[in-house]
Amino acid sequence: MFGLIGHSTSFDDARRKAMELGYDHIAEGDLDVWCSAPPQLVEDVKIVSPTGKTIEGTYIDSCFVPEMLSRFKTARRKVLNAMELAQKKGINITALGGFTSIIFENFNLLQHRQIRNTTLQWERFTTGNTHTAWVICRQLEINAPLIGIDLSKARVAVVGATGDIGSAVCRWLSQRTGVGELLLVARQQQPLEELQSELGGGRIATLEQAMPEADAVVWVASMPRTLQIDSSIIKNPCLMIDGGYPKNLDTKFDSLGIKVLKGGIVEFFQDIGWNMMQLAEMEKPQRQMFACFAEAMLLEFENCHTNFSWGRNNITLEKMDFIGDASIRHGFSTLNLKSQFQAAAA
Amino acid sequence: MTKIIEQFMPTLESSEVAVIDLPDGCSANLPDFTTEAYKDAYSRINAIVIEGEQEAHDNYISIGTLLPDKAEELKKLARMELKHMRGFTACGKNLGVEADMVFAKEFFSGLHGNFQKALSEGHLTTCFLIQAILIEAFAISAYHVYIRVADPFAKKITEGVVQDEYLHLNYGQEWLKANLGHCKEELMKANKENLPLIRSMLDEVSKDASTLHMDREELMEEFMIAYQDSLNEIGLDNREIARMALAAVV
Repeated sequence: MFGLIGHSTSFDDARRKAMELGYDHIAEGDLDVWCSAPPQLVEDVKIVSPTGKTIEGTYIDSCFVPEMLSRFKTARRKVLNAMELAQKKGINITALGGFTSIIFENFNLLQHRQIRNTTLQWERFTTGNTHTAWVICRQLEINAPLIGIDLSKARVAVVGATGDIGSAVCRWLSQRTGVGELLLVARQQQPLEELQSELGGGRIATLEQAMPEADAVVWVASMPRTLQIDSSIIKNPCLMIDGGYPKNLDTKFDSLGIKVLKGGIVEFFQDIGWNMMQLAEMEKPQRQMFACFAEAMLLEFENCHTNFSWGRNNITLEKMDFIGDASIRHGFSTLNLKSQFQAAAA
Repeated sequence: MTKIIEQFMPTLESSEVAVIDLPDGCSANLPDFTTEAYKDAYSRINAIVIEGEQEAHDNYISIGTLLPDKAEELKKLARMELKHMRGFTACGKNLGVEADMVFAKEFFSGLHGNFQKALSEGHLTTCFLIQAILIEAFAISAYHVYIRVADPFAKKITEGVVQDEYLHLNYGQEWLKANLGHCKEELMKANKENLPLIRSMLDEVSKDASTLHMDREELMEEFMIAYQDSLNEIGLDNREIARMALAAVV
């Protein structure tokens, strides 16, 4: 069994969805009621790979909503309780979706291993970051040429370069893709310098410096709501891959030459009989999902029951190869421009 | 520009948000057990726990009168609850606090009355709902929250109690599971009448509980988790549980 721990994108969405699902007691409650609501096993799903292998899984809604981010203890409980539920249900590998893995890492939940009478087994969980990083890289490789960008000559900026996904993307782009120049953008100088020395290249830049120079920008940190970037300073064409969470880049750039692609999204080759991706506002909720969720499915397909993506900066090219091969084999393709889906293997 | 990047929304890219480090049980989280305010609140909370264990003991003995062939098994369960009661009495003594038993009797009077009525009418399902689902879930959830902020002595005692609770088979739960086919209607009805009592009991103690650093929100969540687990265990599906839980919020 695989598991997916997710949550709604807002309190309003969460209430609407709970009402539809018949969870009136939670739907009718105010935010305080939601703060006291236990995680819910919302949906069971069966998935058949093109190889014929069938796996079963469960979607768990942690009852977290982004409005709880400022309530540290509440957010922590939501994540740990959902993980405990997944483990109690005997799920082999569960992906931490949306804010779940962010809360886990940033609120330092590794030290909270004992939840009531359950000792959490980390090997049952994955952040899904390896698959997300691989998908983002493939999205860049597939879509840049479609709008006339030659990656071998292009400047590619990675915003959030020093994080788990960002550093993996940088590694891949410098060693596999071979981009013209890699621009490394992040908040802290020291990790940037360490990354640069690990990569043996790449230029450290501020966001202001990088934006007018970049032919493609990979965002693994979302834009602040208040940030406005003058579209006229950006190159034409320019490919922006929105790999952050929540995804809000398309509201920032509206110029014709700038193409914004939702990053880290995959599409399964056939419909999945589930409802949960409607929550995440996928264009085709029967097939599309976050790559991190798909990673749990892939690990279950491959009988690879380990915390494949875990901790910081552990994503190697070999791991990306493994998960990428599995992704293609089991019928996933990357989300591409203009809703054209091409096999990631192309 | 640095400023702009610092305002980034928290994202899948974890490095962009600050690491917050507040482990459970660290001294910063624990209340001062020696203050008058703490002891005053403890006199009521401790009494509730002692009374709760006494109620559990009495209730299991009473249920035994309706199930004579199971009376011995239920007696064993009842004895365990008495052992827990003695443990919690020691916790109060250790802090030099006298438990306010008058308050605690009154606190349980609603549930107590409903249990006695069901018992006299031979409504076994209602008896089990009150004792084996509601009171047990109320107790275990409160213990889980308490362990995180208890004084070292009480922490040890409470951990032992929780361990016991997980080790023994919840007899009532087993009975409801085996009889679910013909007891569902009564279960729903009894739940509708009694679950709101649990909510008002939580409201009634929330001020004292917060003096002991036990959040109302956390208590309610722990209760709902234990309650949901029990109902799930006896064989109700998620929607039925959701319908039953509704009684707690309206």
